[in-house]
Amino acid sequence: MNRNSLTIVFLAAFMGLHGQSDSDLEVGVVEKLDQYIPMDAMLVDEHGDTVIIGDLIDKPTILNFVYYRCPGICSPLMDGLSDVMDASDLVLGKDYQALTISFDPRETTILATRKKNNYLNLMEKKEEAGKGWFFFTSDSANIRKLTDATGFRYKPTGNDFIHAATLIIVDPEGRISRYMNGIYFLPFELKMSIIDAAAGKSGPTFNRVLLYCYSFDPEGQKYVLNITKVSATLIIFLAVVLFLVLVFFRKRKTA
Amino acid sequence: MYKSYLEEDMGRKGIFKWILSTDHKRIALLYLYSMMFWFTIGVVLGLLMKLELIAPGKTLMGPQAYNATFTVHGVIMIFLIVIPGLPAVFGNFLLPIQIGARDVAFPRLNLFSWYIYVLGSILVIISLFGNGPPDTGWTFYAPYSFKTGTNMLPAALGAFVLGFSSILTGLNFIVTIHRMRAPGMTWMKMPLFTWTLYGTGWIQLLATPIVGITLLMVAGERIFGIGFFDPAKGGDPLLYQHLFWIYSHPAVYIMILPAMGVISEIIPTFVRKTIFGYKAIVISTLAIAFVGYFVWAHHMFTAGMSGTALFTFSILTFIVAIPSAIKVFNWISTMHQGSISTEIPFLWATSFIFIFMIGGLTGLVLGSLATDVHLHDTAFVVAHFHFIVFGGVGFAFFGAMHYWFPLIYGRMYDSSWARTGWIVFFIGFVSLYGPMFYLGIKGMPRRYFDYLEEFHGPNIISSFGALVMITGLVIIVTNLIKSARNGPIAAHNPWGGTNLEWRIQAPPILENFDEIPVIDKATYKFD
Repeated sequence: MNRNSLTIVFLAAFMGLHGQSDSDLEVGVVEKLDQYIPMDAMLVDEHGDTVIIGDLIDKPTILNFVYYRCPGICSPLMDGLSDVMDASDLVLGKDYQALTISFDPRETTILATRKKNNYLNLMEKKEEAGKGWFFFTSDSANIRKLTDATGFRYKPTGNDFIHAATLIIVDPEGRISRYMNGIYFLPFELKMSIIDAAAGKSGPTFNRVLLYCYSFDPEGQKYVLNITKVSATLIIFLAVVLFLVLVFFRKRKTA
Repeated sequence: MYKSYLEEDMGRKGIFKWILSTDHKRIALLYLYSMMFWFTIGVVLGLLMKLELIAPGKTLMGPQAYNATFTVHGVIMIFLIVIPGLPAVFGNFLLPIQIGARDVAFPRLNLFSWYIYVLGSILVIISLFGNGPPDTGWTFYAPYSFKTGTNMLPAALGAFVLGFSSILTGLNFIVTIHRMRAPGMTWMKMPLFTWTLYGTGWIQLLATPIVGITLLMVAGERIFGIGFFDPAKGGDPLLYQHLFWIYSHPAVYIMILPAMGVISEIIPTFVRKTIFGYKAIVISTLAIAFVGYFVWAHHMFTAGMSGTALFTFSILTFIVAIPSAIKVFNWISTMHQGSISTEIPFLWATSFIFIFMIGGLTGLVLGSLATDVHLHDTAFVVAHFHFIVFGGVGFAFFGAMHYWFPLIYGRMYDSSWARTGWIVFFIGFVSLYGPMFYLGIKGMPRRYFDYLEEFHGPNIISSFGALVMITGLVIIVTNLIKSARNGPIAAHNPWGGTNLEWRIQAPPILENFDEIPVIDKATYKFD
């Protein structure tokens, strides 16, 4: 009994620790509304040339972090982005632009171009998108700089990453004006965000629920499954043994 | 010289006569009294919720208090009352007597199970203090359960500890049934209540460890932040729901199977006829226990599973309805051309069938994919499971109480009060939970302290139903308590039952039988 009550006290001590504050969030989005992105960060564009992000941002801009090999949520996110840009009555390349940036430094320009062609081929406003949706890669230092400044937190697991799906809207001065979470976006939501960004206003995030990319983390995932598999096997094994013992071993004659 | 188990103290004094006794009958009563205590609290919490819902807006409590109330109500009612309920009380009391044994196979383990039960309840009490009672709902769904600031952990640990009590009881019953049957008590001569305890025992043994592991994983999640269920760390919140329901759905059968066993005992006795289709009932008991393992995900139709999974679990849910329907058919057929006497236990048994049918058929409404999307998380679900869990287990429990009361206490209750209590309780029950079906279809969500004005009318009926039902409860319980102390001495075998428990003197002696009986004729054989 004493030991039990000790355990209770021990556990009770942990009860105060709940949730996670934003600053120690490992994966997800820590919103940095009204802060500026580093305008000197360098990216590699579709032609393999190094460009400075500050030179690109002259209109409201959608920043979008993915990695091109991503087996998970990146494709639905990019689908959502291309759908909403197709549906919007704003003109891509004139009223606003989109910059998709790979946060995996190992990825190359060739992969970026291939991705761009894929998505553009799926769009109705192909031509418009050609002039207003750009795909980039970069080195780890510049990626870190950009993702830190925008509060986009991700974590490598094996060959892949765990990360969230979000669009980040910055105004022509490079100030973060809105986050759009999820993978489905409404044209009206996009329009309002762009107009606000053009006017230099920032706004609250509508969709507070973040979607995460399930990583097929071979280590972690296997670990979880193993616990359940091992215990299930053990339970069933013991039950079968009990049943067999009860059925096949003769009962002792009681005096 | 005859000395009943109530008088046999083994030289112990005061409370030790009870809490150190390894007699299965005394342990059964220990469970009964502890459960009565918890049931009172659970009922009061339920009443508070119904009073809050008597009018829209805040009447008694705000959202946080309401969340805590339904969580604690659920945890107490499910983990402390209905899951252990019938097996721990009536199973313990009757199982050895019904198969002609002197006690269960492991009497000390049996007493130990009760102590574990008490430890579990203490943990539940602890959860009420400190950071405030848990507010997750009794299902402890991740990810909220590892993020909430309330005392979720002691409640989950309480459920974990109670699980062990359940496992050990199940193990004890299985071994007892296999090893301690009297000579001539073959499997196919066993009373049906014992059969259901056997099925239940296996479910307790196989399913309960899963919830234990799951709740440990939640604890690991909260304390060490491992990330089993946290997508940000590569975990999966859906995994929690799967693990939870892999246990908690079979747990519904832990509750309902013994209830069906009780009804199968009561009905033949009061219609003076052999049970119709003994073998079919036995097989359907085992079928329910078995198929019951494979339907868990019907609680998760809207959680985001694949189409194949949805379809499979829906089909399996319909399949598990078949053995239940077989039982109902057999009970009704038993009554056919029987010589029916409408004594109190029979009233409880027939009203059980009525309520259970409503609960079961609305279960199929929820088991169909399309309708479930509409009704998920509405008051309809609440009505459905109260019809099954409270209507099923509750009615069977009171039926069992009134049926075996003369055996347990050797005294008789006042039957006109018992009849009044039953009818008041029944009317209260139907008007309390009935309107919730309608409210759910109309779209009133569950688990909110507030609702739209358009839902007001049925909610008033429901709240008044709660008051009527509690009036009925008070009548029933008062009558039973008074009669247990001062009721007239019961005649030998007052109902004319045929099982072994009616052949011995009531209340039974310490080890039930002076001499182990030899069973030579089939059960439910009326002359």
